[in-house]
This record gives sequence, C-alpha cells and structure tokens, in this order.
Amino acid sequence: MFKNEEMEINLGPQHPSTHGVLRVKLRLDGETITHCRPMIGYLHRGVEKICENQTFFQGQVWTDRMDYCSAVANNLGWAEANEKLFGITVPRRAQYIRTMLNEFNRLASHLIWLATHALDIGAMTVFLYAFREREDILDMNEAFCGSRLTTTAFRIGGLREDLPPGFEKLVKKFLAKFPSCLEEYENLLNENRIWKKRTIGVAKLSAEDAIALGITGPVLRAAGVPYDIRKAFPYAAYAEMNFDVPTRTEADTYARYLVRMDEMRQSARIIQQCMDGMPEGPVMAKLPKILKAEVNEVYHATEAPKGEIGYYLVGEKGSGNPYRFHVRAPGFINLQALPKMAEGGLIADIVAAIGTLDIVLGEIDR
Amino acid sequence: MNKILRTLIPFDIAKGLSITGKHFAKVFFTANRRKVPFHITSEYPEVPAKVQPRYRGRLTLLKDEQGEIKCVCCLACEKICPTQVITIEKGKKEGRKMPFPVRYDFEMERCIFCEFCVESCGFDSIILNHQFELAAYNREDFSIGMEGLGQNMYEPTPVGKFSVADD
Ligand code: SF4
Ligand code: SF4
Repeated sequence: MFKNEEMEINLGPQHPSTHGVLRVKLRLDGETITHCRPMIGYLHRGVEKICENQTFFQGQVWTDRMDYCSAVANNLGWAEANEKLFGITVPRRAQYIRTMLNEFNRLASHLIWLATHALDIGAMTVFLYAFREREDILDMNEAFCGSRLTTTAFRIGGLREDLPPGFEKLVKKFLAKFPSCLEEYENLLNENRIWKKRTIGVAKLSAEDAIALGITGPVLRAAGVPYDIRKAFPYAAYAEMNFDVPTRTEADTYARYLVRMDEMRQSARIIQQCMDGMPEGPVMAKLPKILKAEVNEVYHATEAPKGEIGYYLVGEKGSGNPYRFHVRAPGFINLQALPKMAEGGLIADIVAAIGTLDIVLGEIDR
Repeated sequence: MNKILRTLIPFDIAKGLSITGKHFAKVFFTANRRKVPFHITSEYPEVPAKVQPRYRGRLTLLKDEQGEIKCVCCLACEKICPTQVITIEKGKKEGRKMPFPVRYDFEMERCIFCEFCVESCGFDSIILNHQFELAAYNREDFSIGMEGLGQNMYEPTPVGKFSVADD
C-alpha cells in the first residue's frame, strides 16, 4: 500500500537560503536526508586563469571578487604572497593599518554571516541590527579606499594612501558602541528557545572529521582545535597583538555561533591595540618600476574570516605575469563538510548547516 | 522544576522584545525632529547620497588652466587597466608640443572602478569623479568618449564635499 521509496530533490540553485547559487542534491527518506551532494560551479569566472594572463599588480582586483564579503582579507593575502615572492619588506605603519582593516573586515564578514544565518533560521530582528553595524564598517572602507565592497585596498609593498584625516574618530566611535551592539545580538539569540532548539546538536562535525576534511576557521575551532593562522604563523602585525583564540568543544551550530561572537570581541580588541600602538612613518616600500619574478614559488596562507585562504604563486623568469596562480579558498574546502553534517539529519536542518559553514559562492566557484 | 518554570515563563521572549521595544521607542519619540541621531536609514532619492572624498566614480579627463587636455598619450592607463576599457588614439594638434589624444574611449559598463588608471598616470590628467548615480538605460550610454552624443568625458560632475572630519 505505502511504497517505501526514497525521493530525490534539488535544493537551489535559486534558493534564498543557499547564499548564492549553490545546488544541493538531496535524497530523502521521509524527512531524513540519506544522501547529500553539493553541486558547484554556477559562478565560475576563471579568476585563476585571468590572473595568470595579467601582471602581478593587476591581479589584486580579481581577489576582491572572489569572496565579496571579505574583500580586504583577500587583498591582504594577495599582497603578502606577492611581497614574499619579490622579497619586499612592508613599512610598519602599513602593517598596522593592514591589520586594523583586516579585523574590520572580519567584523563585517561575521556580521553578514550572523545576519543571514539568523534570517535563515527565522530570527529576523538580528538581521536588521547586524546590517546597521556593517554599514559603519563599509563607510570606513569607503573613507579609506573609495569603495565599499570591492575594495582593492592594498598595494604590493604597502598601501596606496595613508589613513584619511578623521579616520581615528570613526574608529573610536565604532569601538565605543560595538560591545553594546554585540550584547544586543546575544540578548536576542543566546537564550532564545527557538534559536537554541534549531542550533544545539544540529550539523555536528567532530574534530577528527574536520581535520581529515581540511576544514579551517571557526568551524574547526568550534570542534575544539585551537588552530588560527594569526597565532600559528603570524603575518602583518599580528605577532605584536595580544588576543585569544576562542574555541568550543560541542562542535555543533550553536558552538560555531558562540565562537564567532567571541571572535568579534577579539577583533575589536585587536583594532583597539592597532589604534593605540599605531607607529608613524611611510606606508609604501620602495619598489622597482616593473615587478619581475625570478623562478620562484610561494604559498602564503592568511586567516580570512571564513578560514585559511592560501595563495600559491609561481613566478616566471623575465615575465611580469604569474606562471601559475592557485587559491586555496576556505569556502570551497569547508563546503566539503556539508554531506557529513547533513546526512542522517532532517531536511529542515540543512539550511542551518549551510548557514553555519558561512560560504560565499563567489569564492567557491571562483 | 527549574526547567518547567523556564518553559512556562517566557523570559527569553521578553528579553528580545525589550530590545526591539527600546529601539522602537528611541526612533518613535525622536522622529520628525531635526538632527535625529537614531535614524540609520536615509531617504535616498530625495536626499542626495553623501560620498567620501576618496570615492571612486566615473573616469573623467581633466583640462589645465588654458583649457587644454592634460593627457599626453603615454598610454600608461591603457596598459594597466585590468579590464582593458580604455582606448587611446595618439595624434597631433597644432600649437601643441606634446602628443594629443585624438580619441579617448572609455567603456564604462566593463570598468570595475579600481582607480589603477588614475594611479598610473604620471601627469594627473584623469580622475575618478564623485558621480554616485551611474546607471543608464542603454548600453550605448556607457561608451564614453571625447566627442559625440552626450559622451563628454570632461563634462563637469558633482564633487563630494563631505569629509569624514566634519561628520
Ligand atoms: S596615463 Fe595619463 S597621460 Fe598617459 S595616456 Fe593615460 S591619461 Fe593620458
Ligand atoms: S578604474 Fe580600473 S577598470 Fe576603470 S578604467 Fe580605470 S583602470 Fe580601468
């Protein structure tokens, strides 16, 4: 009478909760997911190949457009990979400004994650409040480099311009009100029974699985592994900063939420230290007119808001273009954990699993 | 027992509602007054958008005090543009020692507003202006050149006066 059959459905690619154009192929047994495969590639633009056909200087604009929620962090990785390749030392003031903007970017990225993740699960209010604070950060981006989202903030060897006059005031204003805003979000969510029911114990990923899959970023730290590249292999001015790496051991969606909230606190702390200890001096190193690489390869990893973003660059003798360019995108690798998280769970929880991974499809498909 | 109490008395909901209520009251009682500090949205088309001094808008050719085009056709901007949207044709003009651009075409629909061209120009002859509204109805409107229908590259454009210092 009742056939016991599995049903196959597609989630996406035009689904609002998939954060872009992600298609997930699901096989369902009733409401339980038995099989889950993410299908990617809808947003492929060939960023790596384009960069190989352009000079080192031009390549930066394409990194903005990979993970458009954290463009500054991508710019930083690209600039530092190039500086490693050419052996350029960046002035200290530039390092501090880079660190500060990178942390602002982490805040912006985590805020947009919090907003959309909460919206997916059903908490509408947080969305509006989180975007309010993100707006201030985007205004600061605009004041510093002229653009809000696709920043192209740094240059190989330093910065294009120093901080604009009055920037310190903006930062001070932001830092004064940000802790109370964080408290507001936590008051809205931490004890909220719907939020807790939908996140505690959902989309678990153990530390062994996370390490085996190469997961990085807050998803790994929520499983109890205190791995943060800012601490493990300090870059920019992070070696001089005093901050903690928040971890949790529950490894579920709620733990990842708490880890990211704590990370925002630490970011605010780093920004404060950057402001206090900002050295004077030039912001640009002396560069040759045209950058030419000897045959040489570098891999440079930085801690983007979503995890480890690594740039692999191979220079070619006598050429101004990279011979090979590859990006280790954190979103791409973190997405591989989706089947592990979702299989065996309910279909309603896959939205939480996608949200908690904090993926941006522009970066996954590149 | 504790758990039952917590389920029965919705503290969490009250907490959430108090936050929204606070914000609602703040905005509600200060609405329609001048200089409202709690308003975070702007009434955009009625109130023109403010842009920062470093805002990157449309590419514009500059002229010097004599009304001469400053560009000397070194082609640095054409070379550095990541999307290759600038096309320059070198030429001569009577009474001018420096080369003169006969054509300076700029296809805005592919420009990504990175400001690399301005940075590369050693003669300060181009800027990205502060034009905020760049949308147009036709694709042709995005092909901007030195002459032709509504294609003036150096038409005066609004310059943002707003600065972070006087906020
Ligand atoms: S770089 Fe400046 S001077 Fe050279 S062609 Fe471009 S606009 Fe003209
Ligand atoms: S802003 Fe960038 S994309 Fe636009 S014309 Fe200048 S160099 Fe080209």
